Amino acid sequence: MVNTLENGIPLLAAERIEKWYGKIHALRGIDVVIHPGEALALIGDNGAGKSTFAKIVAGVEQKTSGRLLWKGKEVDISSIKQARNLGIETVYQEQALAPQLTVMQNIFLGRTETKFGILGILDNKKMAEAARRVLDELGLAVGVNQEVRFCSGGEQQGVAVARAILFKANLVILDEPTRALSTRGVERILQFIRSMKNEGIAVILISHVFPQIFPITDRFMFMSRGQVIAEKRREETSPEDLSRMIIQKTA
Amino acid sequence: MNTRAKIFVVDNFIWFINVGLYLLFIILVPTGFLTLHNVEFILYVSSMIGFLVLGEALALITGGMDLSLAENAGLSAVVGGFIIGVMASGLPGWVGVIIVLATGTALGAVNGILVGKLRYNPFLATLGTFLVFDWGTFWIRRGAIVRLPASFLAPGSATVGGVHIAIFIFLAMAILLHFILRYTRFGVRTYASGDNPRAATMMGINVGNTLFWIYTLCGLLAGFSGLMYVGYIGVVTSLIAQNQVFNAMAGAVLGGISLRGGRGSIMGALGGVVLLGILDAGLTMLNVSPEIRGVLTGLVLLVAVMINMVTARLRDRILMPSSGQD
Ligand SMILES: Nc1ncnc2c1ncn2[C@@H]1O[C@H](COP(=O)(O)OP(=O)(O)O)[C@@H](O)[C@H]1O
Ligand SMILES: [Mg+2]
Repeated sequence: MVNTLENGIPLLAAERIEKWYGKIHALRGIDVVIHPGEALALIGDNGAGKSTFAKIVAGVEQKTSGRLLWKGKEVDISSIKQARNLGIETVYQEQALAPQLTVMQNIFLGRTETKFGILGILDNKKMAEAARRVLDELGLAVGVNQEVRFCSGGEQQGVAVARAILFKANLVILDEPTRALSTRGVERILQFIRSMKNEGIAVILISHVFPQIFPITDRFMFMSRGQVIAEKRREETSPEDLSRMIIQKTA
Repeated sequence: MNTRAKIFVVDNFIWFINVGLYLLFIILVPTGFLTLHNVEFILYVSSMIGFLVLGEALALITGGMDLSLAENAGLSAVVGGFIIGVMASGLPGWVGVIIVLATGTALGAVNGILVGKLRYNPFLATLGTFLVFDWGTFWIRRGAIVRLPASFLAPGSATVGGVHIAIFIFLAMAILLHFILRYTRFGVRTYASGDNPRAATMMGINVGNTLFWIYTLCGLLAGFSGLMYVGYIGVVTSLIAQNQVFNAMAGAVLGGISLRGGRGSIMGALGGVVLLGILDAGLTMLNVSPEIRGVLTGLVLLVAVMINMVTARLRDRILMPSSGQD
């Protein structure tokens, strides 16, 4: 469901992004574009700069130089809050969840539905219904009132994905979403990503086990030592092809 | 038993202990423990420390603590008593009541600024203010202030139909706090800040601001406690509520409030208050000396901690879903 904005302007265009961590040159001027409903995978070995790029887009880290264009306009993403205001959500490697609160409370964390104005009385009925709807859409059988610490790793990611869908994110970043998951958990993540693409949400996936994510990815960017060294659409490549490329380029 | 019923029993275990303890004292103290008058007295005496337990419960739920709570009650009472009884003895008593509550709140706000805004460690911040409040009290007044208007003493001494209004004020406050924690956005923020402050911050909750208001609320509760002590004793002394903070913390822990934050309820804290009250009244009526009473209270706390660990584990086992793990 890749669809471009008017005049083919990408949702996000990152131009010549550089990042220095002290003396470490983590990103050496990379260009990345992504369109609504598109799943872009950043692949490459450890230390290539994939997470660094994701953090810059998510407002966690600041770029040293380069430009970020959001729907064609230059933006400054200097905090997580600013990223969120644009509709950029991150499913963190360490989940940003409160383990003793319920699934519903976590989905609505920081965005609680309330009634009666300044009294701020919780509208639990409204929240429970909305949460149930998204969880069903994602195929998650967890109860809305279950404490999050009783959820599996995959279900916890589901809670974070539910946030993104419910609050109409435009771009969701998943950093190593399949790490430490069983086959069933991976299958579930792929289903989440399909759901997000159907909602027109753009997805940036970071993974170095790309065969797992191959079927749902539209485009692969292969990074090495802070640079993008190859880019392929799914139709142009295969998991074997990508593996061969990685072995050659990193040898 | 279904899950809900089991969870109800586990979550309200303290109340079952309270009933059991009460029955035990009825047997041990055949004369008088059963009377309504005695129940009323237990609740009346409990309301003084009760406000401090509620405050401590709030601070613990946010993952912090308030060591200065009892000394805040003492200082607020002395400030109110000094103004109304010495400096401006013409003022009506209710003005003194307001002064006590306002002083408590303001002192709580100082903790709120230290912990919430300046990011002091709660233990160190309230240890500092504990010392300031404690010695500040003596600095303002050593000894007692006795000439106090009746309306100043009323909240902690007046009765309606034979029941002290202190009990109603205390229960009303407990219900209000229960409601705030359970049913408002502020309540969710409070639990989230105690459970995982990093996640709460990432999700846009202003944790510092939440902490500020919680410690300020603790101060208001300390002010109420000060008023109750003053009404009970009938004079203002520089020793009001001194060192009660440990009992307050014990009460909160008895009520199942976790020191790790993010867990606990006002109903539980209330149970802790009542347990302390029954224990104290029962042992007093058995003519147990204050020293032994103190030792026993400590031992009860240790047993309660063990019970809390067991019930927490039981709770987990009941709630752990059998499917859905991957
Ligand atoms: N916070 C940091 N401080 C200093 N160096 C960092 C920091 N984060 C990442 N790096 C370095 O930047 C480079 C890129 O890291 P990263 O973006 O995490 O790579 P990847 O996600 O592709 O494995 C590595 O050399 C890493 O050591
Ligand atoms: Mg990484």
